[in-house]
Amino acid sequence: MPMLKSKLRFAMLVCVLGLLPGAPGAAEQARSQFGNIAIPDPAKPLSADKCVEPVEIMRRDHMEFLLHQRDETVIDGERGSKYSLVGCMNCHNPAGADGKVVRYEDPQHFCAECHAYASVRIDCFECHADRGLLQSQQGRLDMHAPAWKASAAVPPTSTLQRRLGTVDGD
Amino acid sequence: MATNPGKLLQSSRRDFLKGTAAVATILIAPGIFLYKTGQAAAGLEREARWGMLIDTNALSEADVDACVSACQREHGWQTAEGSRTDAQWVRKLRLEEPETGHQKFLPMMCQHCESPPCVDVCPTGASFKRADGIVLVDRHTCIGCRYCMMACPYKARSFIHENLKDQLPVAPRGKGTVESCTMCVHRVDRDGADAVPACAEAVNRNDSKAILFGNLNDPQSEISRRLRELGGTRLRADMGLNPGVRYQGL
Ligand code: SF4
Ligand code: SF4
Repeated sequence: MPMLKSKLRFAMLVCVLGLLPGAPGAAEQARSQFGNIAIPDPAKPLSADKCVEPVEIMRRDHMEFLLHQRDETVIDGERGSKYSLVGCMNCHNPAGADGKVVRYEDPQHFCAECHAYASVRIDCFECHADRGLLQSQQGRLDMHAPAWKASAAVPPTSTLQRRLGTVDGD
Repeated sequence: MATNPGKLLQSSRRDFLKGTAAVATILIAPGIFLYKTGQAAAGLEREARWGMLIDTNALSEADVDACVSACQREHGWQTAEGSRTDAQWVRKLRLEEPETGHQKFLPMMCQHCESPPCVDVCPTGASFKRADGIVLVDRHTCIGCRYCMMACPYKARSFIHENLKDQLPVAPRGKGTVESCTMCVHRVDRDGADAVPACAEAVNRNDSKAILFGNLNDPQSEISRRLRELGGTRLRADMGLNPGVRYQGL
């Protein structure tokens, strides 16, 4: 039961750090430690029922997934990976029907909320689009839509996933 | 055990160096591979060498302008209002014969050299050639030294001096890095041999193929056939870089 194990491991980590939102008691602990700074709880997207990985894995490892995936894409032309940054933005920061989007400098941006809290600068969006595909781009740029959505087939698993024992990704 | 892993490894290495074991799986010990062939993941076509054949006889000045603006639209590198610098993935060249005044126009972009000097000089490995021959800058590792710009004899690269906004998802680009024509790599990864780069799309009307994309390694491909029948010029072939972009009518 690799999943159960990783969940347990994560739960332990949360207890030790007492930092991440969502775990019982975490919020209170963090408050007492850091005064009255509110712990970010970025809005979940409405457009998909679940993320590419469980939330607790994504919180901890999203940067590793992206780092691994970017080389696969740039060097090996592997598009449509389930860890595509465009895929993230399509769900987490979709462009409104009027074309209006939340920019990453805005504290409301999905990534910015936690990054501001943790004082970690986001470099990604100095080059990459900080929002989902605009309506006019959909279809034309669909090679960047995450393939895992369209098909039931399990996408190639990364070394990192294997290490984490989260190959079933649920 | 009867197998001597060291010996196997050595002979494989020799084969590898000789270049004969082009796609051999190297077995170190039963079940353990030093190097395994066959791409597990999808992605680029390793056996291909992508190229473009540009028929300058079929291109008017307006056509070449159309190439440039199509590329700008596709990758979002239009120079912003008030900007003092100029991105250039592709530019218009005018050739004029002084005696007769006859003019020709051609689009000039990264030639996707087989032996690219831009790759040779890059101190970080950011400038690289993909397995399918497309030469790119990996902006994650580019430090903006611009050696590659100086090394490129075709002046195909440009540098981003300013903060950018609203980059397109298919073409991430940002301040402090070098950029050049990617042969519309996002289209190539999607469509393979059927890909049509944006510049070609802009000028290929009806069935004309003023700019033809294809696999130079495949003798059956249209580009190979046309090169065989009608020939094609490598710009400054004397430099021996063997560009993947060829021209006709020069
Ligand atoms: S044309 Fe210039 S940038 Fe393109 S591969 Fe050749 S040397 Fe490099
Ligand atoms: S500018 Fe970037 S790609 Fe060019 S040589 Fe320097 S590090 Fe390499």
